Amino acid sequence: MMSKLGVFDVSVRYGKVPALTDVTLHLEEGERVFISGPNGAGKSSLLGAISGAVATTHGRIEMDGHLLTGRAPEAIARLGLSMVPEGREIFGSLTVSENLRVGTGLRRDRGAVEGDIEEIFEAFPILGERRHASAGALSGGQQQMLAIGRALMTNPKLMMVDEPSLGLAPKIVDQVYDTLVQLQEERGLTLLIVEQSSTRAARVGGRMILLRGGSVVGDGDAAAFAEKDLLSEAYFGQSKAQPKKEAAQ
Amino acid sequence: MTSLAQLFFDAASLGGIYAMAALGIALIFGVMNLVNFAHGEYIAFCVFALIVPSTEAVAVMFLGKAPAFLLIPVLLGLGAGAAVASEYVVFRHMRKATPVAMMISSFALGFVIQNALLAVYGGRPKAISLWPDLNTPVGVLGAQVPLLQLIVVLTTLLVVCALALLLKKTRLGLEMRAAAENFTMARLLGVRANVVITGAFALSGALAAAVALIMATQTGVADVRMGGQIMLVAFIATVIGGLGSLPGAVAAGFLIGGASVLLQAFLPLEVRPFRDAFLYTLVIACLLLRPQGLFAASSAKPRI
Amino acid sequence: MMGKHAQNRILAYSTPLVLIGILLVFVAAITLTGDKALGRMAAETLIRVVLVVGLWIFVGNSGVVSFGHAGYMAIGAYCSAWLTLKPQMKSLFLPDLPSWLAQAEWPVLPAAVASGLLAAFVALVSGATILRLSGIAASIATFAFLAIVNTVYSNWEGVTGATSSLVGLARYVDQWVALGWAAAAIIAANLYANSASGLALRATREDEAAASASGINMYRHRLLSLVVSGFFTGVSGALLGHSIGVLNPDSFYLGITFISLAMLVVGGIGSLSGAVVGVLSLSMMIEALVRFEQGISIGETQLALPSGAQEILIGIVMILVLILRPSGLMAGKELRMPRFAPRSPDYKTSNN
Repeated sequence: MMSKLGVFDVSVRYGKVPALTDVTLHLEEGERVFISGPNGAGKSSLLGAISGAVATTHGRIEMDGHLLTGRAPEAIARLGLSMVPEGREIFGSLTVSENLRVGTGLRRDRGAVEGDIEEIFEAFPILGERRHASAGALSGGQQQMLAIGRALMTNPKLMMVDEPSLGLAPKIVDQVYDTLVQLQEERGLTLLIVEQSSTRAARVGGRMILLRGGSVVGDGDAAAFAEKDLLSEAYFGQSKAQPKKEAAQ
Repeated sequence: MTSLAQLFFDAASLGGIYAMAALGIALIFGVMNLVNFAHGEYIAFCVFALIVPSTEAVAVMFLGKAPAFLLIPVLLGLGAGAAVASEYVVFRHMRKATPVAMMISSFALGFVIQNALLAVYGGRPKAISLWPDLNTPVGVLGAQVPLLQLIVVLTTLLVVCALALLLKKTRLGLEMRAAAENFTMARLLGVRANVVITGAFALSGALAAAVALIMATQTGVADVRMGGQIMLVAFIATVIGGLGSLPGAVAAGFLIGGASVLLQAFLPLEVRPFRDAFLYTLVIACLLLRPQGLFAASSAKPRI
Repeated sequence: MMGKHAQNRILAYSTPLVLIGILLVFVAAITLTGDKALGRMAAETLIRVVLVVGLWIFVGNSGVVSFGHAGYMAIGAYCSAWLTLKPQMKSLFLPDLPSWLAQAEWPVLPAAVASGLLAAFVALVSGATILRLSGIAASIATFAFLAIVNTVYSNWEGVTGATSSLVGLARYVDQWVALGWAAAAIIAANLYANSASGLALRATREDEAAASASGINMYRHRLLSLVVSGFFTGVSGALLGHSIGVLNPDSFYLGITFISLAMLVVGGIGSLSGAVVGVLSLSMMIEALVRFEQGISIGETQLALPSGAQEILIGIVMILVLILRPSGLMAGKELRMPRFAPRSPDYKTSNN
């Protein structure tokens, strides 16, 4: 059976520095997959390569049988891929509701846009309250919600979320994950999430792929990873998912 | 003795021209970080499109003969076309180049256009007469103001409002604003880079054509060098306004127009020929005081 | 490793020898033809070498594009005219000169040096303000500077003759004089680029933020490079005046700005050799185009390019180079003496 997303032998380099080396992975329809690994493992490069923002030097990427490699980011977005980038990257000078509208240009069902915006406001009531405020004035957690809402407004089939927990209070992170899971169940989304903490991933539930030094070094149930990390933390006093920088070289 | 009202209209109409030219430059800078030195030559190109190609001193009207309702849209279309064509031929191939490389190539492109005009029309300034009736004075607030000045002020306001509406209310406007802030993110959301950039160039070129129409009517001269002069002032306005900020460009355009008229009126007679030198010195002083521009956009901060 | 490093340092200083050698061969070959027109072309080319190398000292090292150097050129050109013109001509055409200047009758060489010094001084003053800006704002401020110089020199009737051309300059600059100055400019540019200031400045060229974080005082190094650059640019103005014998403020405006930037970009902003190669290649192209504009006959038919074709083609070449080979013909590399020792194939920077 054809998988939702297929990454075959993909390499990425920045100048002479390799960021990803021959990465192969697959996502099935409706699956929730976490990408984990230390800093510099190539997590963001992988997302960049899939979304078309970063050029690959080798390999190919397919979604629903369409070749993504070599396509412009906007063309990939039009195939049903959406992205919540690291650091949120919301449009600070636009209002909240304008941010939600930026990605609706690719939709054929223009009539449904207004209803969908209201749905986002139901899921994130604080955004509804501040719909006419400039997005730059939102708090970090609110911006994260806006970035997720904005990605959803493109009506994606596959959504990638880069470190949703970065810089947010644990309580807010819980809330963000609750909403993500709920939305996934409602819409039948496939989710690819970068998450440093295996414990967090295990609590949300799903498969986990471990990257290190630009290669896949582990693939399995998030709960199993969390257990291993807890053990090694107990024995060595450090989490395996976040080893020291020297170990990553 | 020039009255205050007279000064005001002089300043507002000159500032209006500068503001529109600056808007054309700021639009493109905002979307693709291109400092487009060819912008002035779009203006010159549109002025010369009014007359029959020849190197004679007296100009024979060509497009300029058409009635206004036909002439205005055709010329705006021509300006937009020239700008879009230059993007297609030159800048599209430089999407990954540095802003400095793009700036230099736009300088080269401007030089090519200017010399092409020079080759076709000759170097002597030509007298042209486009809508001469508009220069008849009318009395406003006790001042004798050429009708054209009123029209310029009104047109500027109209153009600025129309542009603001377009940016605020249309799909293309929303995409352009998003792209101006973060092009990569906009593209990840399905915004087509080529559509936004082509749109920005078309708007910019149409603005250049509007400036050309006003300048041709007001000065009654077609000069190959006119593009370079207006471009320099417009650039300075964009920088003072905060590169990429559209309201800033408009405000700075009016500011420079005002400063220029005031200097002309109040400088001692013997240094008046040096007016532009004073103006540019003021500009450098302005830049030193606020390098990010007087009306810097929040998104235009350097990323460090 | 250290031996190679030291050898590299020495090789870095061989660049000016190679460049001057090329120019020497160029001038000697043209002088041997005995063609007067070609001789003038050679002189003009070498003056452009002085100008573009002068421009490179600032632009190449700092990475800030300057549109203002034609202004320093004008300042140098008029300064030399003030110092060398016959007093009776000055009282006729430039009545407002201060009397000591009106009486001055300097020999040409000190006058050229003084022109460079005046331009360097103006560079110091203008740079002290303009270089507080960075990036594109600085470039646009240099443009404003050029406009200021042009406005002043085009209107200061009693001192510059305004827009009516100033004539009667001694035409002493032939290809050999120009070669001497070109050699001086190349040596100075190389010395500056390899000095502590030049190296620090080139480190800032790529990344302003990182460089300022590492404690490099960009402002002072930029200012120093602009002063050195201003000196040679001013001299090139003086040389141009004494080569064609006529001065006009508009010969130091957008046209020369464009040509000098085109030469720098086509050759490659990243290296001194790029500046020289850019001047030589575009000058030869200009010469060929000028001949085409005058018309050449092939068989029965007389072919001629319309005037202005020269600038149009140069502009197109410049754009093509920027698109196809953005780092220019030399791509940041320097011409050097060949290495004395064979290059070891596995040579890498020590990074194990």
